[in-house]
Amino acid sequence: MTLISRISLHRKLILTISLICAFFWSVFSVSWDKDLFNSNGANTTFLILGSLFKPNLSPEILILGVKATFITLMYASAGMLIAIVIAVIFGTLGSGVLFGNSVFGNAIATISRSFLGFIRAIHELVWAFLFVSSIGLSPYAAVFALGIPYGGILGRILADILADAPKNSILALRTSGASRLQTLFYGYLPMVSANIISYTMYRFECALRSSAIMSFIGIAGIGYQIQLSLSDLKFDEVWTFIFFLVAMAVLLDFWSIKLRESMNIPKHERKKMNWVQISQVLAVFLALTTWIYIISLDDASFFGIFTENNLLFAKKFFSSMFGIGVENPAFLDIEQWKNAISLTIETIIMGVLAIGFTAVASLLTVLLASKNVATGQLTMGNSLLTKPFFYLIRGFYIFTRSVPELVWAMLIVFIIKPGIIPGAIALALHNIGILGKLWAEVIDEMDTRPIRNLQLNGANYVQMLFYGVIPSVFPQFLSFLFYRAEVIIRTTIVVGLAGAGGLGQEFKMSMSFFDYTNVTLLLICYIVIVFVTDFLSGLSRKIVKENSAIAEP
Amino acid sequence: MTQSTAIELNSLTVNLERKIILSSLSFTVKKGELVAIIGPSGAGKTTLLNSLIGLNKTTKDEITISNLPLNKYKNNKHLAKKIGIIRQQFDLVGQLTVINNVLAGRLSDWGLFKSLMSLVVPQDKEIALTALKRVGLEDKIYQQTSSLSGGEQQRVALARLLVQKPEIILADEPVSSLDPARADDIISTLTRLASEENLTLFASLHSVELARKYFTRIIALRDGRVTFDLPSSEVTDELLNNLYELKEII
Repeated sequence: MTLISRISLHRKLILTISLICAFFWSVFSVSWDKDLFNSNGANTTFLILGSLFKPNLSPEILILGVKATFITLMYASAGMLIAIVIAVIFGTLGSGVLFGNSVFGNAIATISRSFLGFIRAIHELVWAFLFVSSIGLSPYAAVFALGIPYGGILGRILADILADAPKNSILALRTSGASRLQTLFYGYLPMVSANIISYTMYRFECALRSSAIMSFIGIAGIGYQIQLSLSDLKFDEVWTFIFFLVAMAVLLDFWSIKLRESMNIPKHERKKMNWVQISQVLAVFLALTTWIYIISLDDASFFGIFTENNLLFAKKFFSSMFGIGVENPAFLDIEQWKNAISLTIETIIMGVLAIGFTAVASLLTVLLASKNVATGQLTMGNSLLTKPFFYLIRGFYIFTRSVPELVWAMLIVFIIKPGIIPGAIALALHNIGILGKLWAEVIDEMDTRPIRNLQLNGANYVQMLFYGVIPSVFPQFLSFLFYRAEVIIRTTIVVGLAGAGGLGQEFKMSMSFFDYTNVTLLLICYIVIVFVTDFLSGLSRKIVKENSAIAEP
Repeated sequence: MTQSTAIELNSLTVNLERKIILSSLSFTVKKGELVAIIGPSGAGKTTLLNSLIGLNKTTKDEITISNLPLNKYKNNKHLAKKIGIIRQQFDLVGQLTVINNVLAGRLSDWGLFKSLMSLVVPQDKEIALTALKRVGLEDKIYQQTSSLSGGEQQRVALARLLVQKPEIILADEPVSSLDPARADDIISTLTRLASEENLTLFASLHSVELARKYFTRIIALRDGRVTFDLPSSEVTDELLNNLYELKEII
């Protein structure tokens, strides 16, 4: 037993301890005094929570909700179509399956992956701001703002899945004379399609939320209604619209589950009307209606974007972003840099706090949220009490994840004064739902045989937890946490837009003061922390992955 | 003398989903006996073993372990002192180190604090070391268990049993996922350790050769009934042919 291998054995422990330290650092870097809450925060809390149980269900509001939901769905579908096109082109190129392991092939793969990495690093709302500033408030601004980063995310997943596809059957195709392009259609795509489709469905659900928050740049939809009702302090309407968001997420989830079930049945055994067919029809229908809708919108002619006026405007915007013809651009000013860096640190603190809150809240609830525990299969204990908790917590997860971070932030700043803490809470609320669900599924799918055996060895409940459950699920838990951490850091800028401080708030201010060189500076800082987080997360996941087979989220 | 009885079955019947899996089984296993259960797939071997550890609820006093009816055992800690079980290698926690998996056999004796401490600094290390030496794995103490081969993992499971020190070892197809040479090796180690410690061994096996080679007594099950129960020296090829062939006729 060498020293190095002993250290490597404890690498996960060291990693965990550093995570906990980072969380405590962030907790102690913000002030937690009484000033935290708004002057009538307690009253507002009662008001908001009270109206949760009596949402406004009047016909006018419901009709408004249906209309707004339709608009949100249209934008989301249009954005997803663009995302799929980007993903198929750059994901395939980035996977390296088309050109093999040559210098040229590797270069293409690296360039494509970097491109995908760059476009997904910037949050869709930031893209939206940039588009609105350059081409004006057109529906296309929202559609492209959605499609571009989603294309980056989907493309990366497609590239990863293609690159990890089992090589044996591909080799067989190659030896029987298939070209690389043919192996793509006869080997790779059939093998990975189920995986890709279920991930795309999940992304579609996310796109609905992203589409909703496009309201922030003035696009209609369910988010816009939420924002209007919030500014009128009509919380009962806010909850009604939020329930529309929840319903959309639940319906999509249902569709996705049914589709996956149906895809697992061999073709000849499927029923005449099966979910694969229904999904195909639905997808074509959505694709057609969405573009008809967008084109039919006022002055949304695609080529209208490219008028001379607009081009001039876009040129002016980008040149001022790069500081051309600007006196003393922000990114050459030391004072501005100092300001930006302190905002960056603030943003990191907000992100780490959010990750910590998410992890703690998920840890506290996840055991009760797993089927294994609810049915008493894992603990072989009494299941009478655990079942209601299971439904309660799963319901809570669905609810919190259906509401975008930005909407949580807009609600929370009514209670807590704008700043880092409400931002972190908003980020955490949304992510508890996602992480909790992912973690609960890990427990559901774990091998229960070792746990049973521990029980036969005379272990009690806590011993079974520490010797069986935790070691089995821990690597996967950490892996999912890092994956969420990447998303959380990327989204810090968005809650900042709602007044939660950090880079986002400053970004919005600079945008409205037309201080575009400062926008550039802030974006540089933002992209740097997103990339550093991605790098650290990738490294940590590699450490966690050692010796344990882990599925990527 | 009653003291020497390890397992006593008194017309044990088990129904699962309205199907009779075991019908009216009765036999006695004396302390220190090495008993192999053989029989075709679906004969009820696993159900029998699961019943012995209380996984199938038996209402009456049909099963007696070390002179105490099974339903009189207070909890799993109490039963763990009497019975230890070994199955295919899926019973170990792959992410733990070898020593922690072995020391899991001590969990019934340890308090909460000691068991948590042991995950960081292994406790009662000497006991684990002795056990690992006896199964020939003293050089892999700190390896992650999932990185070991199937045969090695089964040795870790054996070492855990040595640490747990039960009076009876139940083995459910302990070698069915190993190649013949390794299977022979594990069964010979298992029977050797059981004889050395004067433990009762009650093992279900696919391999008739291993059963005849290493066990003192063979019980054959078919369709939930005992077809024969003989010392291994008296088990003839004809009996075995009947046992496995009859199933195809039915």
